[in-house]
Amino acid sequence: MTSYDTHAIGDLIDGTLPWPATKQMMSGYKDDTRFETYLEVLQQRVAWPEQILLPIGEHLYIVKGAEGRVVKCDCGHEFGDYRENWKLQARIRVRDDQESIEEIYPGRYACDASWMELREFLCPGCLTLLEVEAAPPGFPVVFDFLPDIEAFYQDWLGRPVP
Amino acid sequence: MTLTDPTTENPTLHDRLLAGDRIFAETGNYAGIDTLELREDDPIKYESLHVKLRSIVVNARDMARRISASPGVREVGESVVALFTPEGDAIALSTGIMVHVHTASRFIKWMIQNDYEESPGIRHGDIFANNDAFIGTVQAPDVIDVTPIFHEGELIGWVAAVCHELEVGGITPGGDVALAQERYTEGLFVCAEKVGENDELRRDYLIRLERNLRMPIYWVLDEKAKVAACLEVRDQVLDLVDQVGVDYYKQATKEFIEEGRRGQLSRMRQLTVPGRYRGHTFFGHVTEGKNGVLPLGNKNWLYAIPMEMEVSAEGKLSIDFDGTNSWGYHSMNCTPAGMDGGMFVTLTQHMNYDGKVNDGAWLATELNLPSGTWTNPERETVATATSWALLLPAYGVFQRMLSRGFLARGFKEEVFVGQVNSPMIEMGGESQYGGQFGIALFECAAAGSGALGIKDGLDTSYVGWNPESDMGNMEVWEQDMPMVYLGRSISPNSGGFGRYRGGCGFESLWLVNNSSQLIAATSEHSSRVFDNAGMCGGYPAPTVQLHHSTHEAGIPERAAERKPLPHSLGSDPHESDLAKFADGTTHVEEGPYLATPLRHGDLFAHSYNGGGGYGDPLERDPGAVARDVANGYVTADVAAAVTGVVIEGTEVDEEATRSRREGIVRSRRENSVPVSEWIKQQSQRIRRKDLAPEVAEMYRDSMSLSRRFAAEFREFWQLPDDFSFEARPAR
Repeated sequence: MTSYDTHAIGDLIDGTLPWPATKQMMSGYKDDTRFETYLEVLQQRVAWPEQILLPIGEHLYIVKGAEGRVVKCDCGHEFGDYRENWKLQARIRVRDDQESIEEIYPGRYACDASWMELREFLCPGCLTLLEVEAAPPGFPVVFDFLPDIEAFYQDWLGRPVP
Repeated sequence: MTLTDPTTENPTLHDRLLAGDRIFAETGNYAGIDTLELREDDPIKYESLHVKLRSIVVNARDMARRISASPGVREVGESVVALFTPEGDAIALSTGIMVHVHTASRFIKWMIQNDYEESPGIRHGDIFANNDAFIGTVQAPDVIDVTPIFHEGELIGWVAAVCHELEVGGITPGGDVALAQERYTEGLFVCAEKVGENDELRRDYLIRLERNLRMPIYWVLDEKAKVAACLEVRDQVLDLVDQVGVDYYKQATKEFIEEGRRGQLSRMRQLTVPGRYRGHTFFGHVTEGKNGVLPLGNKNWLYAIPMEMEVSAEGKLSIDFDGTNSWGYHSMNCTPAGMDGGMFVTLTQHMNYDGKVNDGAWLATELNLPSGTWTNPERETVATATSWALLLPAYGVFQRMLSRGFLARGFKEEVFVGQVNSPMIEMGGESQYGGQFGIALFECAAAGSGALGIKDGLDTSYVGWNPESDMGNMEVWEQDMPMVYLGRSISPNSGGFGRYRGGCGFESLWLVNNSSQLIAATSEHSSRVFDNAGMCGGYPAPTVQLHHSTHEAGIPERAAERKPLPHSLGSDPHESDLAKFADGTTHVEEGPYLATPLRHGDLFAHSYNGGGGYGDPLERDPGAVARDVANGYVTADVAAAVTGVVIEGTEVDEEATRSRREGIVRSRRENSVPVSEWIKQQSQRIRRKDLAPEVAEMYRDSMSLSRRFAAEFREFWQLPDDFSFEARPAR
């Protein structure tokens, strides 16, 4: 049965696993222990004690908090209940004029600001850019992912939710 | 055990199809198979048969490529070959444009449902063809041939071969007829027609092709290639059946499909997380007031493609297009067959790449395609000639939603920001040899891919519809069109920025040669909005939106005078190299075609899209930026503005980089507000309906088609229950 240790998974997360090993990982049978090893590596890397239940993005995790499951950034900032869209608790920079759009997409690469704006969702704690939405003005903010944590742990992993 | 239908003694194919559907509905298993008996009894024999069948279809496709003279098939590999059950379910498929495997399945089932067994009859040696998307294909250029496989008088299966044709005789030249606005302008249709008997194509069918296409040689030679592939597969399958026995063959092929279905469910459970995933993308189509547009198409469209993916506790995957927009008088509508095909080819790349790739995966999925939308027009007169325009961005969203699941489970090596549109040039007019011509320039089959969760995307070498992407050799394309290349180059800054950059697209620049009339359109060409996205902090790629051409560019004269010549659009985003290094007037126009034909001595440039980025660009390795700048993938000024990496010469200036990155973080703080504050501001704007007319029309249309969308829109912006947008005045 294929399995990888925490060093290999840590390198994978960092993008530093050598390409031959990465290719082997992509082409081979998937390892059944990946999730546990992944959580172990991620938990070692954060400075806070709450248990990570499920990663949902770069830097973002659903954790077991004192008052229930919340979304937390690895800087420690908390976004509240995971059943609510974390983006609504973020900071946002909106590029909705040609000048600010052209800082990223100069000249012929720009979109038309009256048809599409760029929304940069930032962590209020560390100002990391967590997600970018490209949408017409007025399009409601997307709630990317609402996991069924009970079904995942109980039915798929075969153990109770921590 | 296997269930059989007890109600008929000598069932027709139609009976068998209905019974199969009923048994699947009742048992949840393909053909009612609850145990994979042959697999359990002798796994080596079982796997051996599957490997041999797959090898047969892969080899047949490769052989057909050598027979075809069409550069689309020979150079770029726009073909696929697959084997089906008598009921039309895919058992094994070759590499290539796998999107068409399930569309061929619909074509076969359509013939069965329409009693082809009675008329026109299904006999050994028959050849049937179809390119009608409402019967089963994606768009008119995707012409499918199928032949039945009979064993001792009994139909035991079908073979299908598909080639994407480069010219279909539509209102504008090429394969993807960009200006088609209704079915009647899409070109030559072959509607589930018997086009051959006794292993030979009918002469009258070939005459019809020769008299209705601008460049019939492509379609005709592709027909011969497809027939050769079908006959080769048929004969080899019959040899195999003689070896293993017909009963074993029939049972094993059913078990392959059931195993494929179970594999899809278990792969979802292995790689993702149950729950609700959402995403969106958009597409702009600008033709209002443009010269040459037909009356019904004289407007601009902005399409919203919101998608929701549900993964059930069982592992079943459902995708819902609720909230997307209406079909329209343009060529970008799609049929359920095309929507199936898009999902199928995406699944083969992400979930079913090492197992039983067949229709079992499709059986483990579900699509909700709302009636009246572009995904399911329910009106068979609409045009679907460029359905990829909306289909590809949609399944790019699907790839990002799947990737969110891969990321949650720790399979970061599978995280992929997704496919992008790669606008294809369709052209025609007078050829360099003096006659009429028409061709789809398929070098588009090599766009940039989205980034991965662990590395940059692929540069100039990926499209979603054909995982064996290839742009073809310039010299080959030059033989088939009245233009010669002045250059083919990577487009700098065309990949979306991020910790990992999206793959870059490329651009070509041509000199029109020896033609008095060259008409050019581009299909799958979004205007004003990006039709892709980034992920986890990565930016979208900048969708190619503009056409660049120069009339009477004076290239031979400039060459003789040793003046600089343009070879690409160049790295200056404000003024192209055409404007800098050519004589004459340079035109920059938007929309899916050039309003004025080109002619000898003119220049034409075209770009293909890059993919979206992944992760915060401030986390990008400065060394990677230095390599990108040195190799022309990004320019130093844009890299500094977005990633904060300052390059001096070929080296990273570490001190300046640290300072620039701190400045970008400060700028993030100074220019951002809490989302709740922004929502309050924007809510006022929405109440005032202070939106571009096309944007307001998009919301009006979505709200009228979807109660859920309307309710969520009003709730999000805290609008009254009766809030709505007015329809745009009719023209």
